[in-house]
Parts: sequence; C-alpha cells; structure tokens
Amino acid sequence: MASVIRAENLTLAYENGKREIIKNATFNINQGEFVFITGPSGSGKSTLLKSMYGQLKPHRGNLIVGGYDMNKITNSQLLQLRRNLGIVFQDYKLINEWTVEKNVVLPLIITGYSLDVQKVQAEKLLAHVKLSEHANKYPLELSGGEQQRVGVARALSKNPFLILADEPTGNLDEFSSGVVWDLLENACEQLNTTVLVVTHKIPTIFNINYRHFIIENGGVHEVH
Amino acid sequence: MKSIKDHIMFILPLLAMLIGIEFVLIFNRITTSYENKLKQDYAILVVSKRKLTTPYLRSIDSKIDSVTPMDKKKIASEVISGVQKDNIESIIKDLPQFYRVHLTDYVPLKKLREIKKELESIKGVLNVEIFDKSYESRYALFALVKNTLRIFVSIMFVVSLLLIIKQMEVWQLAHKKRMQIMEIFGAPLMLRSGVLFKMAFIDAIISTILTFIIFAYIQAESSSIETIKFLKNESSILLNFSDIFVWIVTSLVIVIISVIYVAFKTSGISDDF
Repeated sequence: MASVIRAENLTLAYENGKREIIKNATFNINQGEFVFITGPSGSGKSTLLKSMYGQLKPHRGNLIVGGYDMNKITNSQLLQLRRNLGIVFQDYKLINEWTVEKNVVLPLIITGYSLDVQKVQAEKLLAHVKLSEHANKYPLELSGGEQQRVGVARALSKNPFLILADEPTGNLDEFSSGVVWDLLENACEQLNTTVLVVTHKIPTIFNINYRHFIIENGGVHEVH
Repeated sequence: MKSIKDHIMFILPLLAMLIGIEFVLIFNRITTSYENKLKQDYAILVVSKRKLTTPYLRSIDSKIDSVTPMDKKKIASEVISGVQKDNIESIIKDLPQFYRVHLTDYVPLKKLREIKKELESIKGVLNVEIFDKSYESRYALFALVKNTLRIFVSIMFVVSLLLIIKQMEVWQLAHKKRMQIMEIFGAPLMLRSGVLFKMAFIDAIISTILTFIIFAYIQAESSSIETIKFLKNESSILLNFSDIFVWIVTSLVIVIISVIYVAFKTSGISDDF
C-alpha cells in the first residue's frame, strides 16, 4: 500500500522551538486507512494535524504528506497539496456569506471547475449528506450538526486522497455525530480515501477497521 | 447598511484624492495659461552696437525664445523733435540697435539675472534692462499661489491615504476569516482577494463618476460667475476629458495597491484560526 503520511523523528514546536509539543514522532499511514489520533487536551493533536496541511513546519525530523516533503515544500506546492486534501474542522469554518451550495463546492471553485460541474457536484454531495433542501440557505440558518455535514460534504467534493478531521463531532449531539462518522467511514471504505481524525474520544459504535494513535507527553504511540 | 457604510468610507477619501488631483490639473492649466500671458507681455530690453539674432542668443542661453529688433525711427522720434531733417538721418544711423528679447518660460528672478549677465558679456552690447522689480512682484505672487495649492493638495492626499488604509484594515478584519478558509483549501492570493478587488473596483468607478459630475457642474456654473468668466475663453480649462483618464488610472492604482496590501496582510493562517 502506498504511504500517504510518513513522519520520521518529527518534532513540532512553537515559539521558535522553545515550546516542543510533539517530540521525535515516527509513524506511517497508508492509502485507504482510517486513523484516530487521541490524547488529552493540549497534548498536541491539533498541532500534529496543522503540520499535515502545512500550517506549521516541522521543527526537526521529516514529514512527508502526499509525496511532499513538508520541510522543503514551496508556497505553490503547498497550495497544490491543500487543493487535494479534505479538511474538516470542529467549528466547521464555513463561509457565512456564501450559500450552503457554494460552500460545498469551494474546492472546485478554487481549482477552476465550470459552474455546470460545480452545480452537479453540489447536488450530488448535498444529497449524500441529506441537505438537498438547504442548498440555498446560509450556514448560520442551519444547526450545528447540519453545518458540520456541509463541512464534510466540502471535504469530499474533490475526492481527496486524504481527509484530515479535527474533532469533527466535538460540538455535535449524538445523532449528528453518528451521521458524520458514517460519512467519513463511507469515504474511507467506498472511495479508498485515507481519513485521519483527531478526537478526544473514539466513537463506541464504529463499523470499519481503524488504527489508533495516542499522544502522550509529546510522543505519538500506536495502540494495538 | 454596513456594506453601504463600508463603500462610502472607501469612496469618500478616494473622491477627495481625485478632487485634489483635478485641482492640481486645473491649476496647472490656469498657471500655464497665465504664465504664457506674462511671458508674452514681458521682454528684456537690449541695447547693442552689434546685430543680434535669435539662433545666436539661443546658443548663449536655452531659455531665450526669440529676439526682435525695435524700430529705430520710433525711438528716435521721441528725442529728435526740432532737429533738422538732414541731421535726423545721421542721428538714426549713429544710434545703436534696440532689441526685445523674449524668454521661453517665466523664469525665477535669479535665472533672469543670470541671463542679464550673459547678455551683458556679449561684445557690443551696451545695456540690458530686465525690469526686475515688476518682474519679481509678479513672480512672487505666482509662486505663492502655486506653492499654497501644492501644500494643500499634498495634505489632502496624505489624509485621504490614511483614511483609505484605515478602511482597508476594516476590510481586512471583515474578510480575514473567508480569506483564511480559502487559503487553507489552496486558493491562490488573487482568488482569495477577488471580492476585495471587485468591491474596490466598483468604488473606484463610483468615485470617478462622482468627480466627473462635480467638475461638470462647476464648469456649467462657471460661465455664469462673473469672477471666473475669463475661464470661458480658455477651452476646457476646467474639465478636460483627458483628466478622466488620469482619475481612472489614479483610482485603479490606489485600489490595486490597497487590495494587495490587505491581501498580503491577511496572507498566512493565524494561530488562532
């Protein structure tokens, strides 16, 4: 299986290296795997995720994401990488001035797909996340669970090779959480997309095989 | 409502800048016209034994535009009343030549004195009169008005620029979240700033149109105002259509610089994102 994320002795730090969050982490994640990363609050889960979409550069060691060396990645390569990722945030990060439909196809707008393609894809994705009737509404008119489904639909819109999700159900009730987990499971199982989820708690009901890493005292360890 | 306020806060300083620029353009046209009139009315008087020609004097100083010999008989007529007709011819013959020397520009007094020295140094030149007292008082008034307007417009320009930057900071805050979300999904700078460019271009066009309306109104009104009726004789001295091009270019340059400033300031995803 092809490697999607490879970390070797990865150290992530803030304040010019004075505050190390992740220390000497080594792991490999392959295509089509579903991975949970858990750990207590402030352990560095989100920091690790940020390094994967290039918001934080490695302080030491190597991190390869989708073939790009995050130490050497140029600005244009970083934009290219991000266009092929799906990212889901705990606080959704939707553009409130845009309709649900437009939010969903943001990655297609960025890549320059035609309006027709955007329209077809938006209809398909909104049907997939069961929000077809909300296409012309604005995010703030939706509930938290619905907004997160829009966020997941946006992450899926370009069939990314990797979905990074930061506490995707952190603000949701049980029902909405279940819907979001189903969507992410389906993406992994049916589209062979690698899904990496940072969460404080793994759902009790989960239908597919997954790997589990735990962050403790800056170290990233796999739980077998 | 907030959106209208955002537009007005950008349009007003831009409008002030364009009006300032137009004032400078108008004043330049008025002063050029006035300068030409002063230049035409003014001439250095040169008394010379040798013949002076325009090409020769131009080779001495490039600010010399032309030289015209004065009619000796006219000059002599002032002093020869009562002189016998036979002697008149010989007096005129012995008189040196009088010349009026015109300049290309209405030069400062210092330069005028330099030209006087240059003319005096020509062999055969007996006297050079530059009428410096009246020249100086006219030039001082002319320079005072010109400099006052320049200072006024410069202050107006700086204040307007500060207001535009302030408004840009408001836009930056308003659009930060959207631009950061787009950046995280890989949007290039130009795409992220698309909305800002659109808003700013619309405001630039509105400012240009408003400036046109204001000056078209002033021009229409000017013909009925007695004190500035003289402007009517100067074709399109108030509103010149080439000015519209200057306004458009100026407002677009300001808009592009402002938006790029905001885009770069917003570039990069903040830690609290």
